[in-house]
Amino acid sequence: MAQATLRNVRYAGMATCVPKRVLSNVDDCPPQMRSARERVVRNIGIETRRICSEWQYFSDLAFDATERLLAELEWERDEIDALIVVTQSPDYLIPATAIILQDRLKLKHTTIAFDVNLGCSAYAFGLHVLGSMISSGGIKKGLLLVGDKSASVIEPLFSDAGTATALEYDPDAPPMYFDLNSDGSGYQAIMLPAGGHREPFAAQHMIPTKDDDGIWRYPGALVLDGPAVLSFSTQRVPHAVRALLDYAGCGIDDIDYFIFHQANRMINETIRKKLGLPVEKVPSTLQDFGNTSGASLPVTMTARIRDALLAKKNRVLMSGFGIGLSWGSCIVDIENAVFPELIIS
Amino acid sequence: MDTLEQFVEKFKNAVDFQDQVELTGDTNLKALAEWDSLAALGVIIMFDMEYGKAITGKDLVGCQLVSDVYKLIG
Repeated sequence: MAQATLRNVRYAGMATCVPKRVLSNVDDCPPQMRSARERVVRNIGIETRRICSEWQYFSDLAFDATERLLAELEWERDEIDALIVVTQSPDYLIPATAIILQDRLKLKHTTIAFDVNLGCSAYAFGLHVLGSMISSGGIKKGLLLVGDKSASVIEPLFSDAGTATALEYDPDAPPMYFDLNSDGSGYQAIMLPAGGHREPFAAQHMIPTKDDDGIWRYPGALVLDGPAVLSFSTQRVPHAVRALLDYAGCGIDDIDYFIFHQANRMINETIRKKLGLPVEKVPSTLQDFGNTSGASLPVTMTARIRDALLAKKNRVLMSGFGIGLSWGSCIVDIENAVFPELIIS
Repeated sequence: MDTLEQFVEKFKNAVDFQDQVELTGDTNLKALAEWDSLAALGVIIMFDMEYGKAITGKDLVGCQLVSDVYKLIG
């Protein structure tokens, strides 16, 4: 288990962007699925989701979030030393979306820009990667762009969002604490099997088959082993959160908010109950925004606790978990940071 | 440990049946319209929270009757 402390890194701000198109899991699903869908919604807790327009991609959402964040921070573009994108919805397989965005955002050529391939666990890992670069003082200001375009009209779980987070070097910043983990033995639990080198996308992936529910699905579509993901999440995450609290010398009462990846209500409620956390300390955006993959922590902070984050100093524990399998948590003190209103593009 | 009857009541809540259903230990799971992956999630959580037992989707795939699921309590 990798546990680490980062010093000299200040959480300077964060912006969240979602597409304007809203899907209702019940009203917008095929009529023959409606009864079954009501049961699904009742259990996963996701009523509406956001889905990109046909011309819109993760990088567009992240771009809009970054533009707003930079404007509110009043940072100059030539101050940005690093741009890290954590997504599984890149514009292209190659080159990295971060480098395309370096140019689109008009950042200088000396900006370090690269992608990290992580999903639901992305936020803590991304903060640690960028924070580690800043901690030594070589890099003064950096941007972390996290999110995915994973919503589909038919499937009820995923929702689209892009986020931008700003970190800066500050010798007076309180320490950030991390607990980061990986278990590749579960790589098949959430998987897009086709399109990589091991199974190139080919004609057979374009031939849909009709499932029991009457919906045509493509063989190259996302594979999700729900029971495996649930078992992993509800067994590993509470233990990891406790381990991080111990490592940081904190108790539950020392944390103002616990921000968890928004997986589904069954998973999230089980984790909350196992940790004995009061509902008011565990904000949720599942009902309105679904599972926004790695963006779900920023989405929840912006949509649910923005006013509190702007009003006073908060100690926030953030925990993401999922595809990989991968799970990572961090404790961050946030004070005088910039949080633009939710951006709808 | 719960009796089979007590277990069946918890099982019904965990599966979240759309309509009222009569269940016994001999009920075949495949005869239940709601015995799907969502039901599996509910039952896995029920075992974890009610019985402190971690079961997997594979454990449930191996069950044919409601009583087989009951036996997983161990």
